Amino acid sequence: MTAATPPSAPQALTLPPLSLAARRMRIMGVVRRDFAALRRSPMRMFEVLFWPTVELLLWGFVTLFLQTQRVPFVVTFLLGAVLLWQVLQKASNEISIAFLEDIWSRNLLNVQVCPLSSVEYLLGLVLFSLGKVAFAVAVMAGLAFALYGFGVTGLGVGLVPFVGLLLVLGWSLGLVGIAAVLRFGENAQVIAWSLVFVVQPLAGIFYPISVLPAPLRTVAWFLPASHVFEGMRTVMAGGAVPWDRMAWAAALNAVYLAATLALFAGALRYARRHGRLSRFGD
Amino acid sequence: MSILEATRLVKRFGPVTAVNDVSLTVGEGEVVALLGPNGAGKSTTLHMVLGLITPDSGSIVLFGQELARHRVEVLSRINFAASYVDLPGALRVHEVLDAFARMYAVRRPRERVAELVELFELGPLAKRKVMTLSSGQRTRVQLAKALLNRPRLLVLDEPTANLDPDAGDRIRGLLSALARQDGSAMLITSHNMREVERMCDRICFMSHGLIVASGSAKELAGHYGAEDLEEVFLKVARG
Repeated sequence: MTAATPPSAPQALTLPPLSLAARRMRIMGVVRRDFAALRRSPMRMFEVLFWPTVELLLWGFVTLFLQTQRVPFVVTFLLGAVLLWQVLQKASNEISIAFLEDIWSRNLLNVQVCPLSSVEYLLGLVLFSLGKVAFAVAVMAGLAFALYGFGVTGLGVGLVPFVGLLLVLGWSLGLVGIAAVLRFGENAQVIAWSLVFVVQPLAGIFYPISVLPAPLRTVAWFLPASHVFEGMRTVMAGGAVPWDRMAWAAALNAVYLAATLALFAGALRYARRHGRLSRFGD
Repeated sequence: MSILEATRLVKRFGPVTAVNDVSLTVGEGEVVALLGPNGAGKSTTLHMVLGLITPDSGSIVLFGQELARHRVEVLSRINFAASYVDLPGALRVHEVLDAFARMYAVRRPRERVAELVELFELGPLAKRKVMTLSSGQRTRVQLAKALLNRPRLLVLDEPTANLDPDAGDRIRGLLSALARQDGSAMLITSHNMREVERMCDRICFMSHGLIVASGSAKELAGHYGAEDLEEVFLKVARG
């Protein structure tokens, strides 16, 4: 090791910790780290695209078959549903994975002793997941157009609220997964992976909510995703974007996001109180 | 001026009292060791100082600010390395250091990373993935990470546990030089008695969650009628 001669002045080395510039820098530190990890890991890049592509191909061939049976609107409904479902699923899973990777690599303590606030850390995870979702969905949308002639822009202006609402719901579900791991330990990883799939049958992704039994229909209307997928079908059938549904979904999202942030904060407090952070990765 | 004032810390995990009424101060530029057998409460104490574990009672004040209320400000002036913590394996060494430099809001992250790469002789490793490094090389990267923000308090939990004697010796020399030069304080745990004797101004012996003795290596040896710190350790550990 060479002699210690640090040249820069100590007082100028770091930004004032509560300044906006420092906060922005810390958030971008999380994003850059996760981006570098993705770039350096071909298997992770493969995984980002593999399952969505398999799902797209599967449902694409199903719709081609149903078309031959002269089932109306099926192509657009199912392919639109697959693309939007990927937004929800990836938003949820990517944020959980980013957190779990800190546990798997025994790096969580390094992150937890950084001057990152919880909000900054989560914003970093959310921004990175946004990039991954955008990349995966863009590739899938290109494939859907190339293979089945389905243009996602056919959803028109409705595409913006549909995607936005699903992203926020996905992040909320991802946060619940992280909170579960903080609260119950690494064994709760299964919750982080599977929670979004609880939404799948209830949200009417591939079928209208009306086919659900009455009690489940009531539950479904309390899921923002149900309103998004119903709205998508309305638009694809030639109707206007049902803004009342979008407003209801946005209100539900706001409530769920606030609740999951509180849940995360509570789980982090619990983990610190019970020494769980110190034991992850043991 | 005290960098760290921990007062009457208590931490229980169920029926086990891991830390029992521990008070500890670290002054500016002071190097303090926490010694004791496994399960004595050293790591729990360190983790409370770092905000990873919330004490059941007692207070932790760093740089005159309460840790619980000023977490971000306090943590921006501390750093940490431990033998049981790793870095993201998929990243290259310079990417890890760059990411952490940003997480510590270092003004010119690239320049600071370059300084530390040179200081720890990491140049030939800078483009290698962390997962491909030996444990000794990883320790050097960890310590470079721990100095990114030029911490006023460096918390090291068995920092040289994975190093061979030569690398360990050189790291100890480097850390001591940095402490002298920057006036950084250090709080260290180690099972290497020679390391502690060489580096530390003050030693706190812990046993069953309590600090049972404290002083310089010489004072402790005199107090226990022992030849060296290792003998003190054995006497304390065996009651």
